[in-house]
Amino acid sequence: MDLHTRVESHATVVTISGRLDAVTAPEYEKRIREMIDSGAVSFVVDFDQVDYISSAGLRALLLMTKLLNAKGGRVCLANVKGNVRSVFEMCGFCAVFRMENSVAEALAALA
Amino acid sequence: MESYKPTQTQEARFMKSRPCGHDKQVLLDCRVPARLEAIETLADAVNEVLPDRDLAFSVNLCLEELITNVIVHGLKGAADRFMQVQLIISDDWLEILLRDDAPRFDPFMQAPEPNLDLDVNDRPIGGLGVHMVKKLMDEVHADYDGSGNVIVLRKHLRHKASE
Repeated sequence: MDLHTRVESHATVVTISGRLDAVTAPEYEKRIREMIDSGAVSFVVDFDQVDYISSAGLRALLLMTKLLNAKGGRVCLANVKGNVRSVFEMCGFCAVFRMENSVAEALAALA
Repeated sequence: MESYKPTQTQEARFMKSRPCGHDKQVLLDCRVPARLEAIETLADAVNEVLPDRDLAFSVNLCLEELITNVIVHGLKGAADRFMQVQLIISDDWLEILLRDDAPRFDPFMQAPEPNLDLDVNDRPIGGLGVHMVKKLMDEVHADYDGSGNVIVLRKHLRHKASE
Protein backbone atom coordinates (compact mmCIF):
# COMPACT_ATOMS: atom_id res chain seq x y z
CA MET A 1 0.00 0.00 0.00
CA ASP A 2 1.12 3.52 -0.81
CA LEU A 3 -0.55 6.45 0.88
CA HIS A 4 -0.33 10.07 -0.25
CA THR A 5 -2.10 13.08 1.16
CA ARG A 6 -2.84 16.54 -0.11
CA VAL A 7 -4.66 19.31 1.68
CA GLU A 8 -7.50 20.95 -0.23
CA SER A 9 -9.32 24.05 1.01
CA HIS A 10 -11.68 22.22 3.34
CA ALA A 11 -10.52 18.59 3.44
CA THR A 12 -7.49 16.32 3.39
CA VAL A 13 -7.49 14.04 0.36
CA VAL A 14 -5.92 10.66 1.17
CA THR A 15 -4.99 8.64 -1.91
CA ILE A 16 -4.23 4.99 -1.26
CA SER A 17 -3.06 2.41 -3.76
CA GLY A 18 -2.51 -1.35 -3.71
CA ARG A 19 -3.80 -3.53 -0.89
CA LEU A 20 -5.62 -2.54 2.29
CA ASP A 21 -5.22 -5.79 4.20
CA ALA A 22 -4.14 -7.25 7.56
CA VAL A 23 -0.55 -6.13 6.93
CA THR A 24 -1.17 -2.62 5.63
CA ALA A 25 -4.29 -1.61 7.62
CA PRO A 26 -2.29 -0.90 10.84
CA GLU A 27 -0.04 1.48 8.87
CA TYR A 28 -3.12 3.18 7.41
CA GLU A 29 -4.62 3.53 10.91
CA LYS A 30 -1.38 4.99 12.26
CA ARG A 31 -1.15 7.63 9.50
CA ILE A 32 -4.83 8.59 9.88
CA ARG A 33 -4.53 8.86 13.68
CA GLU A 34 -1.52 11.17 13.26
CA MET A 35 -3.49 13.42 10.90
CA ILE A 36 -6.55 13.50 13.19
CA ASP A 37 -4.30 14.20 16.21
CA SER A 38 -2.80 17.10 14.23
CA GLY A 39 -6.27 18.61 13.87
CA ALA A 40 -7.56 17.30 10.52
CA VAL A 41 -11.32 16.65 10.72
CA SER A 42 -12.47 16.41 7.09
CA PHE A 43 -11.20 13.64 4.81
CA VAL A 44 -11.75 12.31 1.33
CA VAL A 45 -10.27 8.84 0.81
CA ASP A 46 -9.65 8.05 -2.85
CA PHE A 47 -9.95 4.31 -3.63
CA ASP A 48 -9.27 4.62 -7.36
CA GLN A 49 -5.97 2.70 -7.13
CA VAL A 50 -7.01 0.20 -4.44
CA ASP A 51 -7.22 -3.28 -5.92
CA TYR A 52 -7.86 -5.32 -2.76
CA ILE A 53 -9.47 -4.83 0.64
CA SER A 54 -10.21 -7.32 3.43
CA SER A 55 -12.08 -7.05 6.73
CA ALA A 56 -8.88 -5.61 8.27
CA GLY A 57 -9.15 -2.70 5.82
CA LEU A 58 -12.85 -2.21 6.59
CA ARG A 59 -12.04 -2.18 10.32
CA ALA A 60 -9.43 0.55 9.75
CA LEU A 61 -12.03 2.67 7.92
CA LEU A 62 -14.61 2.02 10.63
CA LEU A 63 -12.12 3.11 13.28
CA MET A 64 -11.35 6.25 11.28
CA THR A 65 -15.06 7.11 11.11
CA LYS A 66 -15.49 6.55 14.84
CA LEU A 67 -12.48 8.77 15.65
CA LEU A 68 -13.85 11.50 13.38
CA ASN A 69 -17.39 11.24 14.75
CA ALA A 70 -15.99 11.80 18.24
CA LYS A 71 -14.41 15.06 17.03
CA GLY A 72 -17.32 16.25 14.90
CA GLY A 73 -15.35 15.37 11.75
CA ARG A 74 -16.38 13.71 8.49
CA VAL A 75 -15.06 11.36 5.84
CA CYS A 76 -16.28 10.68 2.32
CA LEU A 77 -14.96 7.83 0.20
CA ALA A 78 -14.42 8.23 -3.54
CA ASN A 79 -14.04 5.78 -6.45
CA VAL A 80 -14.96 2.62 -4.50
CA LYS A 81 -15.57 0.22 -7.38
CA GLY A 82 -15.39 -3.35 -8.70
CA ASN A 83 -14.48 -6.16 -6.32
CA VAL A 84 -13.48 -3.67 -3.63
CA ARG A 85 -16.99 -2.22 -3.71
CA SER A 86 -18.52 -5.70 -3.46
CA VAL A 87 -16.60 -6.19 -0.18
CA PHE A 88 -18.26 -3.02 1.18
CA GLU A 89 -21.65 -4.28 -0.04
CA MET A 90 -21.23 -7.75 1.48
CA CYS A 91 -20.63 -6.18 4.88
CA GLY A 92 -23.37 -3.57 4.65
CA PHE A 93 -20.74 -0.82 4.62
CA CYS A 94 -22.23 1.12 1.72
CA ALA A 95 -24.81 2.38 4.19
CA VAL A 96 -22.19 3.14 6.83
CA PHE A 97 -19.88 5.30 4.70
CA ARG A 98 -20.60 8.29 2.61
CA MET A 99 -19.43 7.43 -0.92
CA GLU A 100 -19.13 9.41 -4.13
CA ASN A 101 -18.03 8.49 -7.64
CA SER A 102 -15.13 10.94 -7.83
CA VAL A 103 -12.83 12.98 -5.60
CA ALA A 104 -14.42 16.19 -6.91
CA GLU A 105 -17.90 14.97 -5.94
CA ALA A 106 -16.61 13.82 -2.55
CA LEU A 107 -15.05 17.23 -1.89
CA ALA A 108 -18.30 18.90 -2.93
CA ALA A 109 -20.24 16.62 -0.57
CA LEU A 110 -18.08 17.79 2.35
CA ALA A 111 -18.22 21.49 1.44
CA MET B 1 1.89 -34.51 -0.16
CA GLU B 2 4.94 -32.74 1.09
CA SER B 3 5.95 -32.77 4.75
CA TYR B 4 4.47 -30.29 7.13
CA LYS B 5 7.49 -29.22 9.12
CA PRO B 6 9.25 -25.84 9.16
CA THR B 7 12.21 -25.49 6.82
CA GLN B 8 15.24 -23.36 7.47
CA THR B 9 14.29 -20.81 4.84
CA GLN B 10 10.73 -20.51 6.16
CA GLU B 11 9.66 -19.35 2.72
CA ALA B 12 6.46 -20.52 1.15
CA ARG B 13 7.04 -23.41 -1.24
CA PHE B 14 4.69 -23.89 -4.10
CA MET B 15 3.77 -26.81 -6.25
CA LYS B 16 1.39 -26.18 -9.07
CA SER B 17 -0.83 -28.00 -11.52
CA ARG B 18 -0.77 -31.73 -11.14
CA PRO B 19 -3.59 -34.14 -11.97
CA CYS B 20 -5.41 -35.60 -8.98
CA GLY B 21 -7.74 -38.28 -10.28
CA HIS B 22 -10.91 -38.04 -12.38
CA ASP B 23 -11.42 -34.47 -13.53
CA LYS B 24 -9.72 -32.92 -10.51
CA GLN B 25 -6.51 -30.94 -10.80
CA VAL B 26 -4.38 -29.51 -8.01
CA LEU B 27 -3.71 -25.91 -9.05
CA LEU B 28 -1.68 -24.98 -6.00
CA ASP B 29 -0.23 -26.91 -3.09
CA CYS B 30 1.89 -24.85 -0.77
CA ARG B 31 3.25 -24.55 2.69
CA VAL B 32 2.79 -21.03 3.99
CA PRO B 33 4.49 -19.50 7.05
CA ALA B 34 1.88 -18.53 9.65
CA ARG B 35 2.72 -14.86 9.38
CA LEU B 36 0.60 -12.01 8.06
CA GLU B 37 3.38 -11.01 5.67
CA ALA B 38 3.03 -14.36 3.84
CA ILE B 39 -0.53 -13.56 2.72
CA GLU B 40 0.48 -11.27 -0.15
CA THR B 41 3.01 -13.80 -1.47
CA LEU B 42 0.27 -16.42 -1.39
CA ALA B 43 -2.09 -14.01 -3.18
CA ASP B 44 0.46 -13.60 -5.98
CA ALA B 45 0.59 -17.38 -6.39
CA VAL B 46 -3.24 -17.61 -6.43
CA ASN B 47 -3.43 -14.85 -9.05
CA GLU B 48 -0.98 -16.78 -11.19
CA VAL B 49 -2.98 -20.04 -11.20
CA LEU B 50 -6.48 -18.48 -11.37
CA PRO B 51 -6.77 -16.25 -14.44
CA ASP B 52 -10.37 -15.26 -13.55
CA ARG B 53 -9.76 -12.00 -11.65
CA ASP B 54 -13.06 -12.06 -9.76
CA LEU B 55 -12.58 -15.67 -8.67
CA ALA B 56 -8.98 -15.00 -7.60
CA PHE B 57 -10.16 -11.97 -5.59
CA SER B 58 -12.75 -14.10 -3.75
CA VAL B 59 -10.24 -16.87 -3.05
CA ASN B 60 -7.62 -14.43 -1.77
CA LEU B 61 -10.14 -12.70 0.47
CA CYS B 62 -11.24 -16.02 2.00
CA LEU B 63 -7.65 -17.16 2.47
CA GLU B 64 -6.64 -13.90 4.16
CA GLU B 65 -9.63 -13.92 6.51
CA LEU B 66 -9.12 -17.56 7.56
CA ILE B 67 -5.30 -17.42 7.77
CA THR B 68 -5.50 -14.25 9.87
CA ASN B 69 -7.95 -16.08 12.15
CA VAL B 70 -5.53 -18.99 12.55
CA ILE B 71 -2.56 -16.70 13.25
CA VAL B 72 -4.40 -14.52 15.77
CA HIS B 73 -6.81 -16.96 17.46
CA GLY B 74 -5.46 -20.45 16.71
CA LEU B 75 -1.72 -19.95 17.06
CA LYS B 76 -1.90 -16.80 19.22
CA GLY B 77 0.85 -15.29 17.09
CA ALA B 78 3.30 -18.17 17.66
CA ALA B 79 6.32 -17.84 15.36
CA ASP B 80 7.77 -20.50 13.05
CA ARG B 81 4.51 -22.30 12.35
CA PHE B 82 3.18 -23.23 8.94
CA MET B 83 -0.11 -23.84 7.22
CA GLN B 84 -0.84 -25.84 4.12
CA VAL B 85 -2.99 -24.39 1.37
CA GLN B 86 -4.36 -26.34 -1.59
CA LEU B 87 -6.49 -25.20 -4.50
CA ILE B 88 -8.16 -28.01 -6.42
CA ILE B 89 -10.28 -27.43 -9.50
CA SER B 90 -12.68 -29.70 -11.36
CA ASP B 91 -15.15 -28.98 -14.15
CA ASP B 92 -17.74 -27.57 -11.77
CA TRP B 93 -16.02 -26.82 -8.48
CA LEU B 94 -13.11 -24.97 -6.98
CA GLU B 95 -12.04 -26.44 -3.67
CA ILE B 96 -9.81 -24.66 -1.15
CA LEU B 97 -8.16 -26.63 1.64
CA LEU B 98 -6.47 -24.93 4.57
CA ARG B 99 -4.72 -27.03 7.19
CA ASP B 100 -3.09 -25.82 10.41
CA ASP B 101 -1.60 -27.43 13.51
CA ALA B 102 -3.38 -25.15 15.97
CA PRO B 103 -5.69 -26.33 18.77
CA ARG B 104 -9.22 -27.27 17.69
CA PHE B 105 -11.07 -24.23 16.36
CA ASP B 106 -14.09 -24.01 14.09
CA PRO B 107 -14.39 -20.42 12.83
CA PHE B 108 -17.79 -21.12 11.28
CA MET B 109 -19.31 -22.27 14.57
CA GLN B 110 -17.56 -19.82 16.86
CA ALA B 111 -17.79 -16.52 15.01
CA PRO B 112 -20.89 -14.50 15.89
CA GLU B 113 -23.08 -13.38 13.00
CA PRO B 114 -22.43 -9.65 12.55
CA ASN B 115 -25.40 -7.29 12.58
CA LEU B 116 -25.01 -5.43 9.28
CA ASP B 117 -27.70 -2.89 10.04
CA LEU B 118 -26.08 -1.22 13.03
CA ASP B 119 -25.10 2.44 13.02
CA VAL B 120 -21.38 3.17 12.57
CA ASN B 121 -20.83 3.97 16.24
CA ASP B 122 -22.41 0.67 17.35
CA ARG B 123 -20.62 -1.54 14.82
CA PRO B 124 -18.44 -4.12 16.57
CA ILE B 125 -14.89 -4.53 15.25
CA GLY B 126 -14.85 -8.15 14.18
CA GLY B 127 -16.89 -11.04 12.81
CA LEU B 128 -16.88 -9.69 9.26
CA GLY B 129 -14.19 -11.99 7.89
CA VAL B 130 -16.03 -15.25 8.45
CA HIS B 131 -19.27 -13.60 7.30
CA MET B 132 -17.61 -12.80 3.95
CA VAL B 133 -16.18 -16.33 3.56
CA LYS B 134 -19.71 -17.73 4.02
CA LYS B 135 -21.10 -15.25 1.48
CA LEU B 136 -18.41 -15.91 -1.14
CA MET B 137 -18.31 -19.71 -0.95
CA ASP B 138 -21.07 -22.24 -1.59
CA GLU B 139 -19.90 -24.70 1.07
CA VAL B 140 -17.74 -24.13 4.14
CA HIS B 141 -16.64 -26.81 6.54
CA ALA B 142 -14.10 -27.13 9.36
CA ASP B 143 -12.91 -30.34 10.96
CA TYR B 144 -10.27 -31.35 13.52
CA ASP B 145 -8.32 -34.49 12.63
CA GLY B 146 -6.40 -34.91 15.88
CA SER B 147 -3.30 -32.99 14.78
CA GLY B 148 -4.82 -29.83 13.34
CA ASN B 149 -7.79 -28.11 11.79
CA VAL B 150 -8.78 -28.71 8.20
CA ILE B 151 -10.99 -26.12 6.56
CA VAL B 152 -12.60 -26.99 3.25
CA LEU B 153 -14.27 -24.32 1.13
CA ARG B 154 -16.07 -25.13 -2.10
CA LYS B 155 -17.27 -22.75 -4.77
CA HIS B 156 -19.42 -23.80 -7.67
CA LEU B 157 -17.98 -22.56 -10.95
CA ARG B 158 -20.80 -21.05 -12.93
CA HIS B 159 -19.45 -21.14 -16.43
CA LYS B 160 -20.21 -18.10 -18.49
CA ALA B 161 -22.59 -18.67 -21.41
CA SER B 162 -19.96 -17.56 -23.92
CA GLU B 163 -17.51 -20.27 -22.83
